[in-house]
Parts: sequence; structure tokens; C-alpha cells
Amino acid sequence: VLFALSVAIVFSACGSRAPRASGLRQITDEIGRAILVTPEPQRIVSLAPSITETLFALGLGDRIVGVTAYCDYPPEAAAKEQVGDTLRPSIERIVALKTDLVIASTASQLQQFVHNLDEVAIPVYVSDPRGVDGALESITRIGELTGTTARARELTTSLRGRVESVQARLGGTERPRVLCILGSAPLITIGARSFITDLINQAGGRSISEDLVGDYPQYSLETAVAKRPEVIFLETGEADLPERLKRTPAGQFGRVFHIDGNLLLRPGPRIVDGLEQMARKLHPEVFGVE
Amino acid sequence: LIVTLSVLLIVVVVLIILAIAIGSEYVSLDAIVKIISGRAAEITPEQRVIISEIRLPRVLMAVVVGAALSVAGAAYQALLRNPLADPYILGVSTGGALGAIAATVFAESLQVSRPLAAFVGATLTIGCVYVLGQSKQGGSTERLILAGVIVNALLSSAVIFMVTTASGARQRSVLSWLIGDLSGEARLLPPVSAFVAAGILIICFNARSLNLMMTGEEEALALGVEVPRVKVAVYLAASLITGAAVAVSGVIGFVGLIIPHAIRLAGGSDNRLVVPASALVGGAFLLVADSVARTVVAPRELHIGVITALIGAPAFIYLLRRAS
Repeated sequence: VLFALSVAIVFSACGSRAPRASGLRQITDEIGRAILVTPEPQRIVSLAPSITETLFALGLGDRIVGVTAYCDYPPEAAAKEQVGDTLRPSIERIVALKTDLVIASTASQLQQFVHNLDEVAIPVYVSDPRGVDGALESITRIGELTGTTARARELTTSLRGRVESVQARLGGTERPRVLCILGSAPLITIGARSFITDLINQAGGRSISEDLVGDYPQYSLETAVAKRPEVIFLETGEADLPERLKRTPAGQFGRVFHIDGNLLLRPGPRIVDGLEQMARKLHPEVFGVE
Repeated sequence: LIVTLSVLLIVVVVLIILAIAIGSEYVSLDAIVKIISGRAAEITPEQRVIISEIRLPRVLMAVVVGAALSVAGAAYQALLRNPLADPYILGVSTGGALGAIAATVFAESLQVSRPLAAFVGATLTIGCVYVLGQSKQGGSTERLILAGVIVNALLSSAVIFMVTTASGARQRSVLSWLIGDLSGEARLLPPVSAFVAAGILIICFNARSLNLMMTGEEEALALGVEVPRVKVAVYLAASLITGAAVAVSGVIGFVGLIIPHAIRLAGGSDNRLVVPASALVGGAFLLVADSVARTVVAPRELHIGVITALIGAPAFIYLLRRAS
């Protein structure tokens, strides 16, 4: 009730600024919502670390007025005003920052929140990147949205060049079986819909859990053992490899690697860093031993 | 009594064998027999790891945890003469979980500190609830349950606070851990089993006193039962086995509440039967529930709490209707 009340008050206070009649463009965001935005938004709030990284990479650091508590890259992002975490952003703070564009990501599941922002007439662009190509596509579209099309083209061309260079060097090499562990008690891995499944494919591997439904399913330990993974990636926050996975080929040949989850789980420009790191671990015979 | 318990024991053993035979990966009965009889050389190393290091510990863990939670529930219900009492309602499970999560978040060497912290958390919680539940006129059952509810609410918010402030991967495993999971830490099986066995024995030895106390503490005193000593011993034992269970499995609901009730509905409320039968039936129940959780959507797994509620709630309703 308090929340509804505060939204109502904010709404009535801001009612006058809603129709900024001239010069608005209609844009369709990545989940098919039509929104009205100014041609070059000047006061942008980012609701996902990947979006913050994308905006900085597009040279829009000065135009960001708010970020989430998880936006820790680049370091300058830490100096920005925080509007909350990705689950509970403060609508009051977003209004108080005189925001003219909010960019969210489907990864953070903010449907209700998007609706609340609609009520106070702040446009919300929702990005929905799927796979590495999807991430690059999303960067292009955020470039169009923010009036930095040329910069976005430059950035995606360079990123795409790095992806293609990895693939060219991989050629037709064997694709090792990969187990990716995001949590070990219980075992949480990546499913068909996860971003990381595509990343492993592009890095020349094959996820043993690629046929599982969903993004981040809980996985049977015995199936993980039975599939004989040759490489195991552990999210950095995770402690060591669970004892019972040490008898897998990956454990026996020492091919167990920690990898920075921020590079894998954030579909921004650094996704290509993650891809290159994975490719080097998966194919030392191609990229050399570190 | 002996006959009933023997039959239940045989059922548990049969279920253990069945549970070892099923899983997300197919291992033939022949291979299982070879592994158990020590002729492991003819078996692939994966099959050996799956059976002896993954499935067997998990199956035994389910039995131990199910026995622990059920006996703890039976003990609290008898002590408090309240059908709603169970480790979860009294906040003891959450207290254990909070201790364990604190250990996971703050102490990097979580393997050793987690079960210890869970024992401490469970014991402190029941202590707090007990003190809060006392009034000037002595303890009343309603007051104690109320104290449990309040302490549980406080501990839950502390858990949520710690989960929100923990980062990324830890947050995920802590959350899943709160809902309950039996796949972890096979190494902890021996100490946890020892604690649970000791606790259950202590409660069994006090079963006759509990019977007398259920008719009224003053009457029990008059009949020569050392009521305060029995209460402290049973409270401590119940909290010990709850803490041990929570430390390896997380908070699993429903078991401590429904199993003792089911046994009382079926066989009467003599604690000399209820306590050991709760251990066996609770172990069997959680074993079946976990076997379903790990096979029904294989190779994915369900949360054990989903299954305990799905099996437990209809069974409980059926027993209630039959009794009335």
C-alpha cells in the first residue's frame, strides 16, 4: 500500500512532464514493446551490469546517471549513483534523477517494474540478448537507441572480428566435452537456453548439459560423472572441484579452470573476452599453453 | 512392538536396495552386485564412482536425515503436547541453517565449520525459544509455540539478509541449500549418523518418561519422573539431531510434522513405539521422496522439499479423514 501510494504521489508530481511533445522517436525494444524516447537521451539509468558495460563501451559514460549495485565494470561505474540492485530498483530515485531513458535486460526479470516506470512516463528499453550474436545485435540496437550508431558499428565490427578470428584458428578441431559448474551444492549447471552454452560452442567445446531444458538447471551428479567431461569450468565464486568429480577425465588431466562469471554471465562487450578465455583453455594446442 | 519395528526395518532395507538400483544413469543390477561384493575391477570407473561415491552416500543420507527430522518432531510434539510442534515450526531448523550459512559466508573453510555452526545455531535457538516460552507461571505450550514462531521469523529475516548480501555463486548455493538438498558432503555421513543415532537413543530411553509427562507434568513428577532432567535431555538431543540433519541437508519441511502423526494415527501414541518407528518410517519416507526428486526429471533434479510436500500433504489428509 505504501509503495502504491508513493508511486501515486510521484505520478501526480510528474504528470506535467510526461508529454514532451516534439522530437520523440518511437522505438521497438527487444521484447517487442513500443516506446517513445528523445533522439539522444542524456540521462540514462542502466538496470543491468551488461548494459552499463555496453554504455561505457559506446562512450556514453557521461550520460549515465544511475546504475545498479552490481555494476562494477568499468571502474568508473562505481562512482555513479546507485538505484538499487537488479531485483529491487528504487523508482523514486530513478524519477529524482530526472531520467529520460531506462535500459533493462530480460536477465533481471523486471516485468512488474517496467510497468511501474510506464506509469510515471519514463521510457524503458528492455534488451533480450540470446547467444553471442544476440549480444552483438543488442549492442547495435542500443547504439541506435542512444544516437551512437557509428560508435556501435565500430565496436561490434571489432568484436565480431575477434569472434571470427577465434573460429578461424579453431577450424575443425575436436570439440571437448565441457561441464560448466555455477554452483556445486547442489550441482547447478547450464541448460540449452543459457548464454554460456552458446559461448562454449563458439569457443570450440560442447556442453554436456546442452540438451537440458531451461537456463540454469540443477543437474544430477551421477549424470555429470557418466558423461565423462574432458574440461570443467568453475565459476570464480565457487570453491574447489567437488571431490566426486575429481575422477572424471577433466579432473585426472588437470583440465579444471576457474573462469570469471562476470565475463560469461553478462551479455555485454566483454562476452568476447570470456569467449577468448574459454577458447584458450579448451584448445591449448591451438592457442598455446599459458 | 518388536515385530512392528522389525517389519519396518526390513522395509527400510528393501527400499535402500531399490533406491541404489535406480538413478538418472542406468547401472545394471549385475554391476551393482559386483561393486558391492568388491569385484570392482570388471566395472567401468564411472559406474563405481556413481554407485559407491554418489548414490550410496546420498541414499544413506536421506535415511539418516529423514529419521532425524521425524524423531525430533516426535520429541517436540511429546514434550510440548502440541501437534504443531516440529523442528521447523519451533525455528530450530532455521537456527541451524543460519549457523551453517554464517559459516559458509564468513568462514572460508566451510567444510569443517558448517556442521559445527549448525549445531550451535540449533541449540541456541531452542534455548531462546524455551526461555521466551517461560512465563512467571511456568511454561505454557501456546507461549512456547508463539516464541518459536517469533524466533523463526527473526532468524528467517537474518537468513534473507545474509543471502541478499552474499555474492553471486554463493548466493545460489545458499538459496538451494535453504530449500533442502541431499547431494552434498558424503564425508559428513559418518559423524552425522553417529550424532543422529546418539540423539535418537537418548530420546528412546526417555520414551517412557515422555509417555507419563504427556498426561501432565505434575502427575509425572508424582510418579517419580525427573521432569526437568528429562526435558533438558530430550530438548538437547532433539536439537542435536536437527542440527546434524540441517548441516548436511538444509531445511527440509514436512517430515517432522507428518511422520510422527501418521504413526500415532496408525499405532497409538505410546512413545516407546512412536520414537523408533518415526526414525524408520521417516527415513523410508525421505528416501522415497529423494529417489523421486533425483529420477523423475532426470538428468535434472527437483528440490526435495517439493516432493516431501507433494507426498506428505495428501497422505496427511488421508490419515486425518480416516481417523475422524
